[in-house]
Amino acid sequence: MDIYITGIGVISAIGFNVQENYQALKNKKTGIEPARFFKYKTKLLVGEVKLSNQEIISQLNVSVPISRTSLLGIVAAKEAWGDNKSNKLIRTGIISSTSVGGMDNSEIYYKQKLQTDNPDLSLITTHESGGTTNRIAEEIGITGFINTISTACSSGANAIMLGARMLQQNKLDRVLVGGSDCLTKFTIEGFKSLMIYSDEWVKPFDNERKGLNLGEGSGFLLLENEKSIAISKNKKLAQLSGWGNASDAYHQTASSPDGKGATLAMLNALKKSNIEASSISYINTHGTGTPNNDLSESVALKNIFQHVVPSFSSTKAYTGHTLAASGTIEAVYAVLALQNNVTFPNLNFSTPITETMLIPELECNPKQNINYVLSNSFGFGGNNTSLILKKA
Amino acid sequence: MEDLKTKLKEQIIEQLNLEGYNVSDIKDDMPLFGDGLGLDSIDALELIVLLENNYNIKITNPEEGKSVFNSINSMADYITNNKK
Amino acid sequence: MYYINACSTISNQSSFKNNDWVSNIELLATNSELISPDYKQFIDASDLRRMSKIIRMGIVCSKDCLEQSGINNPDAIIIGTGLGCLTDTEKFLKNTLTIEGLIPPTSFIQSTHNTIAGQISLALKNHKYNNTHTQNNLSFEHALLDATLCLNEGLTDVLVGAADEKISLLDELVEEFGYENFKNKLTEGASFFMVSNVKNKSSKAQLIDCLTIGLNRANPKTIIEDFLVNHNLTLENIDLILFASNGTIDNNEVINDLKPVVVLSFENYCGYYNTNIAFGMHMAVDMLNGEGNKLINNSKPLKHILLYNNLLNNSIGLTLIKSIEA
Repeated sequence: MDIYITGIGVISAIGFNVQENYQALKNKKTGIEPARFFKYKTKLLVGEVKLSNQEIISQLNVSVPISRTSLLGIVAAKEAWGDNKSNKLIRTGIISSTSVGGMDNSEIYYKQKLQTDNPDLSLITTHESGGTTNRIAEEIGITGFINTISTACSSGANAIMLGARMLQQNKLDRVLVGGSDCLTKFTIEGFKSLMIYSDEWVKPFDNERKGLNLGEGSGFLLLENEKSIAISKNKKLAQLSGWGNASDAYHQTASSPDGKGATLAMLNALKKSNIEASSISYINTHGTGTPNNDLSESVALKNIFQHVVPSFSSTKAYTGHTLAASGTIEAVYAVLALQNNVTFPNLNFSTPITETMLIPELECNPKQNINYVLSNSFGFGGNNTSLILKKA
Repeated sequence: MEDLKTKLKEQIIEQLNLEGYNVSDIKDDMPLFGDGLGLDSIDALELIVLLENNYNIKITNPEEGKSVFNSINSMADYITNNKK
Repeated sequence: MYYINACSTISNQSSFKNNDWVSNIELLATNSELISPDYKQFIDASDLRRMSKIIRMGIVCSKDCLEQSGINNPDAIIIGTGLGCLTDTEKFLKNTLTIEGLIPPTSFIQSTHNTIAGQISLALKNHKYNNTHTQNNLSFEHALLDATLCLNEGLTDVLVGAADEKISLLDELVEEFGYENFKNKLTEGASFFMVSNVKNKSSKAQLIDCLTIGLNRANPKTIIEDFLVNHNLTLENIDLILFASNGTIDNNEVINDLKPVVVLSFENYCGYYNTNIAFGMHMAVDMLNGEGNKLINNSKPLKHILLYNNLLNNSIGLTLIKSIEA
């Protein structure tokens, strides 16, 4: 059964919707800047969505308390959902993903709890990851199959993958899949404690890369089967043709030097898509800009593509690493690459990694024909997922 | 120096939650990583925290930590030479 | 057809590695505590030192399931957890708010929801499918559903489990919110299963189907009836319903609503936690095998048990299992 992408939505540091994101990608305009809304003790480079909570709340007209994770999710989910309606004949579900759920509110609550006798209890009610998805589902009006995936930085790709499998096994006809994470002190201090948060602009795949910059945002995609499209009459934007998940089983946070998990995830996706590696026109890599990830991923790319690695780039130098959202935001970018026959440039690159010597795409070059795009997402716990999107 | 080494062992046992270990189990020249005490890269980060919080010594590059954390001897030397 | 070939539970009951625990189950006393095995017997000290309670429970239950089923390396590892690794999450959160300098990274690393599934894959050097679901009270059902998708895709043996841990903050919050119903009722636990599309001599029950409904607007009884009709069954065919609601639904109402089917609210035995339905599934499997008949004053063999999970009539999970003999 073929699975089609018929709606896309995204909010990130480089734009509040798909069109703004696309323009920024083409124009090599990063969204990573010193933090403005997020309060931090020192200068901090982050991929912030340039809207305060209050601005999003009044735009969406939603009730509080609500976590920023849900707010960002609602913006992207609404764009992807468009003016689709619920329909008894179309079994519809939603699968979102997040790494820390409503942690933004939880940390305000916890700080108040440590400092006062009277913390605002309502803030802790938005903590649960599943609850952040319920809020998004409520705003869209989806009931029934509502689920949340949380596998750290591969969460979003796994949500997309699960949605595809639910359609393929005829459990649903239509599913809104996505992911959302907002900036939190928790994750920023977390990556700082691992000593992989760069105080310079992130340089994916560069030999001198020093680590990642975190970002925030959300991406959502509407997946439909033929039956659903026959009713909805939605235009096919792209096809989701392959997916694969594999465990690296090497280390709790680091990727293996031989890129085993990443290699297996890509192989599984190629197999599912029933294509040869040479059919891939462009790869949106995980490319976090940490010394470990980019080397391991480069090794994995060479494992799969040997001497002819196709055009590839990391878009994390635009958005920052948006954790659970990254796989979904980048899947939206993959759709844009297919629709417009372009690949997106990898910012801040100057010297290839000594061990692998791979050079990413540096300009927004129109290509003859982008037919298949591979999108990688790798997470803590060695959780590796690859998706393959195909021209509609 | 001996006092420093004993103190260091106590701090390592606590910081890394090495349940069941005593100061006497950790020899001064025993490799802390690999075949010796069997620590890993996460422990290396914990040791960097230990040095900063207890000795006010900052290691900003985890790679730099590798030679420092060879053994109790190398850690004690590094602390003695760099303590402010 | 799916088979449940191994079950393992750590809970406030003597459930771990104890075949007749359901027959000896007791109502929870106030302030009852988790009955933990001696983890050192199952996990190397070097690994154990970093593991919080939820990870220990998960790892040990998974090992027990592997041992029971004789599977060294399952084809997939799928976990459901409502609140994830709370101990490490709270520890790191507190550190970020109180420590000015460098913060120890270990609790951050261990705080992600997929730590349990990741640690199992690491311990087994397992390179297969690995996923973690977190959907409040339906986290386990979603994991189980994912396991059935895997089996439909041709995988043979899937390790599926659920775990949630309690931290004192949860009790404090119950107090602060004034939720009298929850007082002294919050608990924790882990239950793991090996599900397979192959029946073998260790098979304990059949898993027929699993359904989840979020933001429910319909009448729960109608949902149950519709779910059963899909399997050519009616409520009359159901020998027992094991019911959980984390205390949000009046048990008597459910009992009256579903008469004459016997409804057993098993939360009196395990307490409240997001994934306690997995405890219920282990209980149900053992009851299909003749354990715990006195709990329902029954003497004849049970054939169909329905696990009915309902939070506030809002999030509903239904899991149907069937005896092997039938």
